[in-house]
Amino acid sequence: MNKLFNRRGFLQGGLAGAAAATISLAKPSKAQATTFEGYPNSMGVLVDLSRCVGCRSCEAACNKEQHLPEPELPFNDFSVFDEMHHGQKRRPDETRYTVVNSYAIPGREHPLFRKIQCNHCQEPACLTSCFVNAYTKTPEGAVIYNADVCVGCRTCMIACPFNIPTFRYSSAFHPRIMKCIFCYDTRLTKGLPPACVEACPQEALTFGRRTDLLEVGRQRIRENQGTYVDHIYGEHEAGGTAWMYLSPAPFEQVGFDTSVPKEPILNYVKDFLSIVPMVLTIWPALFAGIHLLATRKEKMEQQNENQGEV
Amino acid sequence: MNTNPKAVLTAAALLLAGVLFPGHPSHAMDQLDAPETVTIDTLANLYQPVEFSHKRHVLLARCKDCHHHTTGQQDMDANCVRCHANSPESTTVACSDCHTPKKFYPQHVTAMDNPNLYHIDKPGLKGAYHLNCVGCHERKNGPTGCEGCHAMTDKGKAFFDVQKKTAAGTTKEQHSR
Amino acid sequence: MNHFSNHKQEIPIVAPIKPDGTAWSIREKLWLGLSREEYKQQFLRNPINWLLIGIFAVGIPIILQRYLFGLSTVTHASNDYPWGLFLGFGLFGMVPLSASGFLLGTTVEIFGRKDFVPIERLALLNGLLGYFFAVVYLEVDLGMPWRLYYPMFISLGPAAVLFLVAWHVATYLSVQIAEVSSAYFEWIGWLKGKRFIKSIAIGLTIAGIILSTLHQGALGALFNYAPSKVHPLWFSANFMWIHFFCSAIFAGLSMVIISSTLCKTFMTWRCDSRFMDNVDKLTLGLGKGCAYAMITYLVIKLVGVAHDNDWAYLLTGWGQYFLLELGIGVVFPMCLFAYGVKNQKVNLVRFAALISVLGIVWNRLNTALIAFNWRLYQEIPHWKEVWVTITIFALYFIVYRFILYRLPILYQWQGEK
Repeated sequence: MNKLFNRRGFLQGGLAGAAAATISLAKPSKAQATTFEGYPNSMGVLVDLSRCVGCRSCEAACNKEQHLPEPELPFNDFSVFDEMHHGQKRRPDETRYTVVNSYAIPGREHPLFRKIQCNHCQEPACLTSCFVNAYTKTPEGAVIYNADVCVGCRTCMIACPFNIPTFRYSSAFHPRIMKCIFCYDTRLTKGLPPACVEACPQEALTFGRRTDLLEVGRQRIRENQGTYVDHIYGEHEAGGTAWMYLSPAPFEQVGFDTSVPKEPILNYVKDFLSIVPMVLTIWPALFAGIHLLATRKEKMEQQNENQGEV
Repeated sequence: MNTNPKAVLTAAALLLAGVLFPGHPSHAMDQLDAPETVTIDTLANLYQPVEFSHKRHVLLARCKDCHHHTTGQQDMDANCVRCHANSPESTTVACSDCHTPKKFYPQHVTAMDNPNLYHIDKPGLKGAYHLNCVGCHERKNGPTGCEGCHAMTDKGKAFFDVQKKTAAGTTKEQHSR
Repeated sequence: MNHFSNHKQEIPIVAPIKPDGTAWSIREKLWLGLSREEYKQQFLRNPINWLLIGIFAVGIPIILQRYLFGLSTVTHASNDYPWGLFLGFGLFGMVPLSASGFLLGTTVEIFGRKDFVPIERLALLNGLLGYFFAVVYLEVDLGMPWRLYYPMFISLGPAAVLFLVAWHVATYLSVQIAEVSSAYFEWIGWLKGKRFIKSIAIGLTIAGIILSTLHQGALGALFNYAPSKVHPLWFSANFMWIHFFCSAIFAGLSMVIISSTLCKTFMTWRCDSRFMDNVDKLTLGLGKGCAYAMITYLVIKLVGVAHDNDWAYLLTGWGQYFLLELGIGVVFPMCLFAYGVKNQKVNLVRFAALISVLGIVWNRLNTALIAFNWRLYQEIPHWKEVWVTITIFALYFIVYRFILYRLPILYQWQGEK
């Protein structure tokens, strides 16, 4: 959550001003550290695509841990890798927080498998776009969601550069966002790794402090020359994510969006948010001035008439 | 999964160590010193224990291919040779002596605080088994599917929802990597 | 409306007092001074009403289905396209078309252009209803519509763009209700209320400008959250909000031209001579404003392309589609506006306004749906989603017409003001 606090503080200041001007809603902003470098012990997971064999144990573990609906096909049915929807491979939805997809890579004998789940950004776009503060980045590193305040506007789904949050469209009375929460309440807060990590036989998922994982990732790249692409996806993507990836093939060949900016999504919105206080302060004076100028003649005529009458 | 009680683990480790060191730990180990079969059951949960034929594998690989430098053979991995070029055989050679089944638990996460820790990326026990076995099986055309080595338990069947009908009508045993 | 005037020669209710000297009751005002039988007859005579009945006959069951069985029963429930037609058209399309309220408010109250007064109330009403129905569309789309007030009072996320939109639309809606209420106060005969609104008109108008600038822009800024999803030609991190704000200007003005044209043609009986005598001249004035706003928009659109160095994209299929949108939706009506205004061709200006309104809706649909997820696939809305969208629009039409029939929008209230 690099510098998120300053930014949010700054933005909250600006927008609290906006709110105050519209309906006098001044909220005392909390004193916040000026140089917040992210939670020091925040956890993450390093996913090593060279290790994943596509056994789908993580999918099964997630399903059980999060009490998600029974799958249509058993978790050891590998025909799901051929499923296509609108020309796209499987994606998380309201019945599954994580999926593993298979990618045939030109020049490689075996396909590569990529696990998809919430990447738990350091500065989550879902969180910054949510107008009811339904999302929280916890000190442990998880991005969690509060269904009790969610309105169902689905802006988080628009904002997420990884297309992670999904919506329970099927429910009329209890819809909500469904997304991976890093097993926050059942495991992460107790110091345990998430269920998928614990289930992985290949240790394709390495759980640890994000800072440590970056070292591990760099070491793996360095000590296995030629095995990996020299990039840890998630180190900087979208401002950095708690879940990061190592890949032996170029990331775009394994279904990653390499056009995701290397800065927080919030940065794209700041330009607009910074004009808000300006408009709020300058516009009234400007337009009141124009009004006075534009109606000056009329006023003077009126005065003259009045004087004439007297 | 596979979080067996510590006692079982320790017992298994002792058993394995006992089998591996029949009385003369100071000698350089010989392939003949090894047991014929090893029952790998410390992690059995969703799958049944593996009856590992050590004897058979001895014919297919060198000690160091699985045991690194611990059996007294020199590891050829450039990354290992940097430090272990002259490492003597160690007192223990069981996988679980070095690879913990609790890899991602708090005590191991905080172990990273030690600035002198070099092996920051040592796999846990389950990872060590699978990474070692599957990689080699793939190269040498051994079984690479889950149930090629260990059959699924009833618990495992529930875990994977295998009672569900598959697209093809039968549960596919495996898929090749 | 011809049918109306054919059978009832006198202009209905324009004053608090009947010709015989007694006062109209509210009920009589609501029934337009007709008996139930007469009202029913004029209703059934109108073919538009039959069309509306057809739309509702299918649309209302679908809306019930949406509320009882979930959004997935009427839409494709896409996780890739979380915003469909309800927001793509209903929110992103309706809001710019409703910029008319603050634009004419500013012209008349702030710039002192009293010559636009005959059309001011129509513009204010157009604004109010457009916003109100944008919220109705939102209520269809929201997962938990019963929590609409949450961002205001329950859980605040003030650093989000949508928070700004929510607050500003809500407050601006109140401002517009206040502005339009003076017509309502005249109609019910509560002059105190009307005088009070008049006394705060300047304040309301300035509040309207601020709120409109910010939330028209904010609707564009919402897409700033999706820099890697919206096609680069429709996305410009720095100019997104300006593009949306600037295009809302000609969208709002064009919508008033269309609305006034419909009133002038199909609701002649309800228009007084002040409106009828001025509407052509004012249409030319509005057309002039449109032409200026469009050239500005065109320039900043190109500046947006230049700033992000997106020129190469213009050579792709997406680039041609982008140029097609700009050509048909902006350049073509802009030329028509300029030519029509210069040569006093009012009907040409009216045609230009129609093109410009369709063009802006097209632009918003392009940004929210078509150029969104441009590297994935095209989402084609479920027919029920289309039908619900049409049904809500039909409801908007009915409410719009209901108010125009009654309140002094197109005519001046006779008697005490």
